[in-house]
Amino acid sequence: MTNSTNNLPNMRGRPLVSTAQWRGTLGVVSILVAWQFSVWVIALPAYFYPAPKDVFSAFIELMQKGILLEYLSDSAVRYSVSVATGVGFGLTFGLLIGLSRFWSRLLGPIINFFYAIVEVAWIPLLVIWIGYGFNTIVIAIAYVVFFPVLYNTLTGVQTVKLVLINAMQTLGATRWQVLVTVIIPSALPNIITGFRVGAGFAFRGLIFAEMIAAGSGIGFLIFDGSTTRQTDRVVVGMIMMGVMWLLIDRLLLRPVEQATIVRWGLVRNQGGNT
Amino acid sequence: MNHAIQMPQKPRINPALVTGLLPFIVVLAAWALAPLFSDIPAYKLPSPAKVWSTFQDMLLSGSLISEVWASLQRLATGYILGNLIAIPLGLAIALNRAVAETLTPVLSFFQSIAGIAWVPLAIIWFGVGGGSVLFVIVNTIFFSSIYSTVIGVQSIPPVLYRAAQSHGASRWDVIKTVVIPGALVQILVGLRTSMAYGWRALVAAEMIAGTNGIGYMTLEAVQWYQTEIVVLGMILIGVLWLILDRLLFVPIERVTVRRWGLVS
Repeated sequence: MTNSTNNLPNMRGRPLVSTAQWRGTLGVVSILVAWQFSVWVIALPAYFYPAPKDVFSAFIELMQKGILLEYLSDSAVRYSVSVATGVGFGLTFGLLIGLSRFWSRLLGPIINFFYAIVEVAWIPLLVIWIGYGFNTIVIAIAYVVFFPVLYNTLTGVQTVKLVLINAMQTLGATRWQVLVTVIIPSALPNIITGFRVGAGFAFRGLIFAEMIAAGSGIGFLIFDGSTTRQTDRVVVGMIMMGVMWLLIDRLLLRPVEQATIVRWGLVRNQGGNT
Repeated sequence: MNHAIQMPQKPRINPALVTGLLPFIVVLAAWALAPLFSDIPAYKLPSPAKVWSTFQDMLLSGSLISEVWASLQRLATGYILGNLIAIPLGLAIALNRAVAETLTPVLSFFQSIAGIAWVPLAIIWFGVGGGSVLFVIVNTIFFSSIYSTVIGVQSIPPVLYRAAQSHGASRWDVIKTVVIPGALVQILVGLRTSMAYGWRALVAAEMIAGTNGIGYMTLEAVQWYQTEIVVLGMILIGVLWLILDRLLFVPIERVTVRRWGLVS
């Protein structure tokens, strides 16, 4: 349903900005206005309840000093390395367990057990073992991504239509060919779902891990701002976190979904956030 | 069906008990024997026996029970409060298209910063302690649940509304017979997802802002290098989550979703 109003039409005759986008912008703007007004009404010290103006100047300051970009890139590197590691392991073990009854029996129970120990619980122990920093964070976050990817790969592999495998084998396909041309493609929608769930959990995990075990990054910015009572920096960090997730969602998750699931018409895209 | 926010499926594994137990034995044995074959200091890897005796000590002294109880109570309060606000509000928002479109970007933005990121701000507002932790849990659960409720309503095919309305259904009838049942699967998915997020947020918030609870106990022990308490805390976090998930959601899903054939 496109209820196009009097927006500027582009060449295809569709409005450049849809009604939903106008309304969405309105929502964001009203939140900002309400925030500014509530600051005037509540009239508390800025460290307790900073105004949008304070936050904006903190943002400018952090940008000028180059801190913000450095933190953002630190977080982004940690995030990508750990998500890639987690997906790699999750996929490998998912295929292994899904394809072999022996491995499934051997590893299934212990993986279920470790799945219950959330990454948050591992961070204290990793801090004792490895210390603060990159390795602890990457291990913890890869750990979060591992499980959803593994479980969804498993579901995907288990729901492959047997007739397809049989057909391939009848035609003389090797095990490898069956894996590459039948099993992986038909498990792909599930794998992508696992990737998305994992990416969502990993992002929160990253922020938390940076609060406890890092000296840089967006999580550290949020946490450090609070211990030094620079609340405006805390809010800058939180907003950056939201922006970062939106970027991850738009630049990484949606394109992947578009290229695989939606394009093949396997799943209707509803754009849910994890 | 929204695959994007479904929880990961549990694998169906045949109860081949012996093979399944083998890795546990290997892990336990490696854990117990590692100090004999390497020079890992005891503070880094407490023996299983030490963790077990710590468990017994803390159980007998009652400190363990009180930490676990503090955490569970907080989780329950936050979960009920968060969902009680989120689900009705989510339904109300989603029933009006204009309101839904206005609020969706704001909601998804807040959803992406929900949870642990609020801990530092909560500490400034409420001080270190239970108040901050509760705020963070309610916040996490609220944004997780409201989003899935809104999506649930939005994914109802419009033809169902028209069918109900053309048979003369009132607005209330439509809500009762179309909106709520139609959004139910998504709401249930949201209930389960929000519990998973809430549990993580609980443990994490207690670590940073808590003065008691299982997360607090686990991270506090790091400062004193009481690794046996850290390991005990981890195991408990895992066991408690398994119990919560199995006791609460597996039965709920069986009774509602599967029975109505809403989910394959």
